[in-house]
Amino acid sequence: MSSAESLILIESMINKAKNQFSEDGHLYQLWGWVVFICSLGQYIGMRFLKIQSSYYVWLLTILAVIYMVFYLSRNKKQRKVVTYTDEVLGATWIAFSIVLLLTGFILAQVLGAKFYTVLNPIYLSIYGIPTFISGVVLKFRPLKTGAVICWGLAVLSTFIPVAEHLLLIAVAMLFAWILPGYLLKQRYNNQSVN
Amino acid sequence: MFKELDPILHTPLRLAIVSLLISVKEAEFTFIKDKTNATAGNLSVQISKLKEAGYIDVVKQFKENYPQTICKITPEGIRAFETYVKNLQSYLNAGN
Repeated sequence: MSSAESLILIESMINKAKNQFSEDGHLYQLWGWVVFICSLGQYIGMRFLKIQSSYYVWLLTILAVIYMVFYLSRNKKQRKVVTYTDEVLGATWIAFSIVLLLTGFILAQVLGAKFYTVLNPIYLSIYGIPTFISGVVLKFRPLKTGAVICWGLAVLSTFIPVAEHLLLIAVAMLFAWILPGYLLKQRYNNQSVN
Repeated sequence: MFKELDPILHTPLRLAIVSLLISVKEAEFTFIKDKTNATAGNLSVQISKLKEAGYIDVVKQFKENYPQTICKITPEGIRAFETYVKNLQSYLNAGN
C-alpha cells in the first residue's frame, strides 16, 4: 500500500463515519406535536371554552415521557454505532430538561401565582438553546432557524398579553421542532437509501 | 530520515478499521463490517491483532440473546494513528 493510497483510505473511512446521521427527527416530532397540542389545547380551553383547569392537558407530557423512555431504550439496543455527536446532543437535551424543570420550580417559588406571566417567555428562550446547539452540531439549518424564531418569539411575548403567550409556544414548536423533525427524517431516509 | 510506518496500521483493513473508530465513540462489529466491506472472518482476525497491539478495546456482550462485539479506539490507538499520519505526510512531502 503506497502513502497516497493510505491517505485516500483514511479519508474515505473518516467520511463514511462523518456522514453517519443517527438523528431521524422522531423525538423532535414527538415533543413538537405534544407541546403544540398542549399549548393550543390549553389556549382554546381557557379562551373559548372557559375551562379554568384546561392546563391539565399538559398531563399528556407524562405519556410522552413514558413513550420516550421506552423508545430510547429500544433505540440504544438497536444502534450499531455511537458517535461523539450523539453523546454531545444527548447531554445537551438532558441539561435542557433539567433547566426547564428547575426554571418552572424556581419561578413558582419566587413569584408565586404570578409565575405564569414570565414562564412562557423564559421557556421560549430556553427552547432555543438545545435547538440551536443541535442545529450547529448536526449542521442543519432548519434547527438553527427554529432556534432564532424561538428567541424572536420570546422578545415578542413581552409586547403581547400574557393570555396569548401559549399561541407563541405553539408557533415556536412548529418552526423549532415539528418542521425540522420532518426534514431530519427525510435526511435520515435519504442516507439509508444511499 | 524517514521513520518506518507502523506495520500494525500499514495494512488496508486494519487502517480502515482504525480510521473508522477514530471518528466515532464506539462501533459494533456489524457496522465496521458494512463500512469496510470486509468478510466477517478477515475482520475478526484484524480486530484481534489491533486488540493485541492495544490499539482498540473490544467488548463482547449479549444483546437480546445474540452475541454483540463493540469496538472502541484506545488512547494508545489514537497516538499510533496520529504518528502514522505524521509519518505518512513526511513521505508525501518528500515526494513533492
